[in-house]
Amino acid sequence: MKPLVKKNKIFVVIVVGILLVLSLNFFQKEAKGFFYTFSSPIQTTFWALGDRVSGFFETIGNLSNLKTANDKSQKIIQELLAEKASFAELKKENETLREALQVGLQKDFQLAFVEIIGKDIGQESILINQGAGDGLSKGMPVITHQKVLLGRIAEVFENSSRVILISSKESSFDATVLDRDASGVVKGKDSRLLDFSLVAQDKEIKEGDLVVSASLGGVYPKGLLVGSIQEVKQSDTDPFYQITVSPFFDLKKTNSVLIILDF
Amino acid sequence: MLRKIIIYTLFFYLLALLQTSSLAGFNLSGLINLTSVAVVLINIFEGTKDYSGVYAGFIGGFFLDIFSANLIGQNALIFLALALFIKIVLRKYVWAPAI
Repeated sequence: MKPLVKKNKIFVVIVVGILLVLSLNFFQKEAKGFFYTFSSPIQTTFWALGDRVSGFFETIGNLSNLKTANDKSQKIIQELLAEKASFAELKKENETLREALQVGLQKDFQLAFVEIIGKDIGQESILINQGAGDGLSKGMPVITHQKVLLGRIAEVFENSSRVILISSKESSFDATVLDRDASGVVKGKDSRLLDFSLVAQDKEIKEGDLVVSASLGGVYPKGLLVGSIQEVKQSDTDPFYQITVSPFFDLKKTNSVLIILDF
Repeated sequence: MLRKIIIYTLFFYLLALLQTSSLAGFNLSGLINLTSVAVVLINIFEGTKDYSGVYAGFIGGFFLDIFSANLIGQNALIFLALALFIKIVLRKYVWAPAI
């Protein structure tokens, strides 16, 4: 009798536990917000610690490639400096023309500085340390300090928010290829690659071309860097290219991000 | 039993925090889920007469749901079923002197 009573007791406890946990879904936002609020200091510490440790092991792993990467970086810096000089002239000319035509300059975005405190396992989303109490709301775009697109706020709690990355399968937005006048839709594929679909084959697209966000769908502001084209496939039976894009953002090198508040 | 449940609660809470914060930088997603490994090991080495491993599965899954975008209870039910499955298999089909 006693083992039977014990088994029934375990069964009842399990059923009650399941019902309690499932009922929490009606208060999912409050329940998760509660845990995020008092876990936030611990998560911030663990994130910083993990970042240092992973950075140390990554450096050791990349030692053999350091010289090659350094030489390549130096070359790119020199090319960019040359371009910067020519852009300075263009900028001056642009301002003069705008003044002459009396057209207002596009205002800079209003940005909020936030820190990353956690990353969801396999869901391609991150947790940041500001929420509704700091003026954030759902749908706000998130970028890195280099104006590279990271994602948008999907869920807002009191003191934290969940950001869905552009590499998530749930992410989809309009984008264009820089200097090619070709537009399409970027969808998340996995943590390393994005799918760029519905790009018509009448435009010439090459590997290495830059992809930036477009404001057609109203998901993100236009002109934010998304990534570079890694692979372009053409098919006679399909009017569109099959393009794979390598995103520019790298969470391993990012501890803090910017939220665009006034989009 | 109650003391074990409290220890499991603290353990899986810290493990979930570790997995979503420190270990996120090592890009282990898709490769290894420490919570599931812990649940399996606890249930295998605990013994067939002790059911605290079943609570461990439920608690581990609950904290994984809290620190992810899943519905609360999704992983909790999966890990609960996993723990029960391990207990049933060990009890009915496996004989080992240590278990």
